Amino acid sequence: MSLRAPDDLLALADSILERVGRDRAEVVVVEHEEGLTRFARNQIHQNVAERSRRLRLRLMGDEQVGVAEVRGEVDDLPGRLVAAAEAARRLSPPGDVTPLPRPDAGPDGPVAHSAATAACTPEWRADQVATVAAKSAVAGLEAFGAIQTSLTHTAVANSLGVRRHAESTAASLVCVTRGENGWGYADQHHHDAARIDAEAVAEEAVETCGRNQGAIAVGPGVYPVVLSPYAVADLVGHLSDLGFSALAHQEHRSFMRPGERLMSPLVSIADDASHPGGMPFPFDDEGVSTRGVTCIEEGVCRSFVHDSATALRGDVPSTGHALPMPNTFGPWARHLVVSSGESSLDELIAGCDGGLYVTRLWYVRDVHPLRTVITGMTRDGTFLIENGRLGRPVRDLRFTQSIVDALADVRGVGRERSIELDEGERAMLVPALGIGRFAFTS
Amino acid sequence: MKDIAELALDVAVSSGASYADCRVVQRGIQALAVKDGSFAAVSSFEDEGVGIRVIVDGGWGFAGVDRLDSDSLGEAARTACRIARASSRLRRQAVRLAPCPVAVGEYRTPFERDPFEVSLEEKMDLLIRADEAMASVEGVTTHEASLEFVREHRLFASSEGSVIEQVLVQSGGGMDATATSADDVQTRSFPNSFGRHQVCAGYEAIEGLDFAGNAPRIAAESVALLSAPPCPTGRLTLILDGTQAALQVHESCGHPTELDRVRGDEAAYAGTSFLTPDLVGRFRYGSEQVTIAADATTPGGLGTYGWDDEGVAAQRTVLVDRGLFRGYMSSRETAADYGWLSSGAMRAESWNRIPLIRMTNVNLEPGQSSLEEMIATTEHGVYLETNRSWSIDDRRLNFQFGTQNGWEIRDGRRVRLVKNALYAGRTPDFWRSCDAVAGPSEWRVWGVVNCGKGQPSQVMHVGHGAAPCRFRGVAVTAAS
Repeated sequence: MSLRAPDDLLALADSILERVGRDRAEVVVVEHEEGLTRFARNQIHQNVAERSRRLRLRLMGDEQVGVAEVRGEVDDLPGRLVAAAEAARRLSPPGDVTPLPRPDAGPDGPVAHSAATAACTPEWRADQVATVAAKSAVAGLEAFGAIQTSLTHTAVANSLGVRRHAESTAASLVCVTRGENGWGYADQHHHDAARIDAEAVAEEAVETCGRNQGAIAVGPGVYPVVLSPYAVADLVGHLSDLGFSALAHQEHRSFMRPGERLMSPLVSIADDASHPGGMPFPFDDEGVSTRGVTCIEEGVCRSFVHDSATALRGDVPSTGHALPMPNTFGPWARHLVVSSGESSLDELIAGCDGGLYVTRLWYVRDVHPLRTVITGMTRDGTFLIENGRLGRPVRDLRFTQSIVDALADVRGVGRERSIELDEGERAMLVPALGIGRFAFTS
Repeated sequence: MKDIAELALDVAVSSGASYADCRVVQRGIQALAVKDGSFAAVSSFEDEGVGIRVIVDGGWGFAGVDRLDSDSLGEAARTACRIARASSRLRRQAVRLAPCPVAVGEYRTPFERDPFEVSLEEKMDLLIRADEAMASVEGVTTHEASLEFVREHRLFASSEGSVIEQVLVQSGGGMDATATSADDVQTRSFPNSFGRHQVCAGYEAIEGLDFAGNAPRIAAESVALLSAPPCPTGRLTLILDGTQAALQVHESCGHPTELDRVRGDEAAYAGTSFLTPDLVGRFRYGSEQVTIAADATTPGGLGTYGWDDEGVAAQRTVLVDRGLFRGYMSSRETAADYGWLSSGAMRAESWNRIPLIRMTNVNLEPGQSSLEEMIATTEHGVYLETNRSWSIDDRRLNFQFGTQNGWEIRDGRRVRLVKNALYAGRTPDFWRSCDAVAGPSEWRVWGVVNCGKGQPSQVMHVGHGAAPCRFRGVAVTAAS
């Protein structure tokens, strides 16, 4: 199976815009192909491939908006799409309709794309699983996880002249290993599948699992911690969702107080869709170029990410962070970059005597959004830090902690960063963090 | 549809599949939303495609494609077989399936008013009136209301000879009112949080919700919560409303009784389970008050159908019987490991995903008490309504939940509204502390529309019958 070329997607979008015959319409075309191989107990147990195309039409006029989306090669696709969107528009009550964006001068790059990823086969994925399974088996462990490769072609066109397209790829290997009395974890994500090192992932997961056998119980309390990049990604992703959106600010739901220092000067967080170390992508779901936004600068709250609707309300330009419009969710920061520091992981651990090292967080949920209080569990390797080194493993703990308070007490930042992807397909470039106080509640 | 499926199965079998099944799915979704009196949008989503699942050389393969021409179907079937061969390289034992009768039949969701025949004007009018009613309450800062309707036409066919056609219809809706102050944000939702409540039914389900009547109430509650005191802290008697009881069942009984989690199939993602097979029939999961069953025949439930996505007939499976752990939701493959038959709980989000073991309608059976009686016989406790936060560990033991609304109870009476309530515990300890469940008159089937599982991720709509219930000596506190 193969995807259509970007020019063909734009031609399809143009044909729908012509058919609409109205001066305010937007078409988004996304073609997607992916393969995913899951493994459990050192065997492949699920193995899938998918190819699909989504076409989305937003029609505006007379202060009304209607949206129709079709996935699949249905008969008379353009006609059905236009008819459905027009029916929805005609019956929508008049309201505040955000105007379509006009073309900007943004480049159609950089884009996270690799020919090697686009060419990945089920046999290649099975080879990577075989590598992981063999390493685990030699260590007397069982491996569980998934390897995924995907190719996406995206085109956005509107009747005001916006015409954008991009070809992007992604590859991920996630591995959990199980021993008699404990688990380990490792992952790697990159746009280039050739950069996924299955041996290294397996070695890390096996090493963590080997350390994490026969965990002891420690009581709840406030501990200094070192969070691995896996755990930091969870923390920063939730922080973003709780406050980096301009809509959250406009609705008084955001913890952000622009100009005010809420966190340690060691903490800087930006949304940077062009960062070569992340998963770059040049435009949002409205075809607006995604600009870099500094959200936290040396602990001080700075700016928010915008879509056209929040930009209009705030009388500022959109930063190119729209989700499919219109929506009630608002803009979304999906390329988070946390500035690196100067410490090695060993130095962070050495500076956290009597604390805990946390490999991974799990099932993190908001408890008090305005105060950025979240709860969740540790998972797949939590260790005492004893004599400046990783010590005995401890049983998983529940934490309930304000993210802002934790980031206000950052004692050290790792100099190495890794790419993490969360469930919403947001890319984050994050280091390990040393934090002075982190509350574990059960 | 049947021709499409037969073509795909023929190619799969001729390409080496020892077993193949094919699902042809056409799905339509209509969504309407109104927010803050000015934002209004109507959208529609049409989805059509085929998923082909095969066993070749003892390994699984699957390919989904949204093109229904013969060339694309043939290519997809051959791709599924190629993937299965790759899988078989890393299998110690060939996939085995528990036996299942060949099924030929049809099922349709019963309804009174087809939601897709109800005019958009009528639906939008309902939302606008609800939005206006929330806006009329002083102090409310944002308010929104939404509706969603789903029609899914599925055909399942297998190389064993099953041919099943089903048309499933869902109707759902919800609304949220939010009040903010300089240091607080409080939201109240109706009839449930996280978007909406949904059932397998027609538009009559929406008409029965009374959006406009409940809108001022939740708006006023969101404002009142801003100045409410925090929930009291301590080992307290806890009463949950039906919606929160439903989510408690979902997280602490539904997920750990999925047999694929027990095998480790979800270990790297959704997690495992503390309910291992050696505990069946002898582990005290809860008190005598607690009977929980997975029932794909519950009228109106989001997990109600004629057959699952492996062609196994809908059925009722007891998971917990008067406190004793009794069994699992299973698939043909997982059941075969233990010499059991499938419980008919394999469900796929759409054509492009494989079926996984998913909750059907996991119901806490009604008891004999009532909310009024539970409150009247509580010396000191809290009554908590509508979920706000939920978290549980990967084995489904250590949980912490929060709710939007709470009422402190003293000497058998609700004495004051409290906010930011949290409660926590360990699953079996918690369910063993259950001393009352309300009766059939307060029992209702709730819909959960955001249940995530699997890789690639699948979001499933599942049902939970539940009624208010009471627990003794629970760790309760307030978020701060």
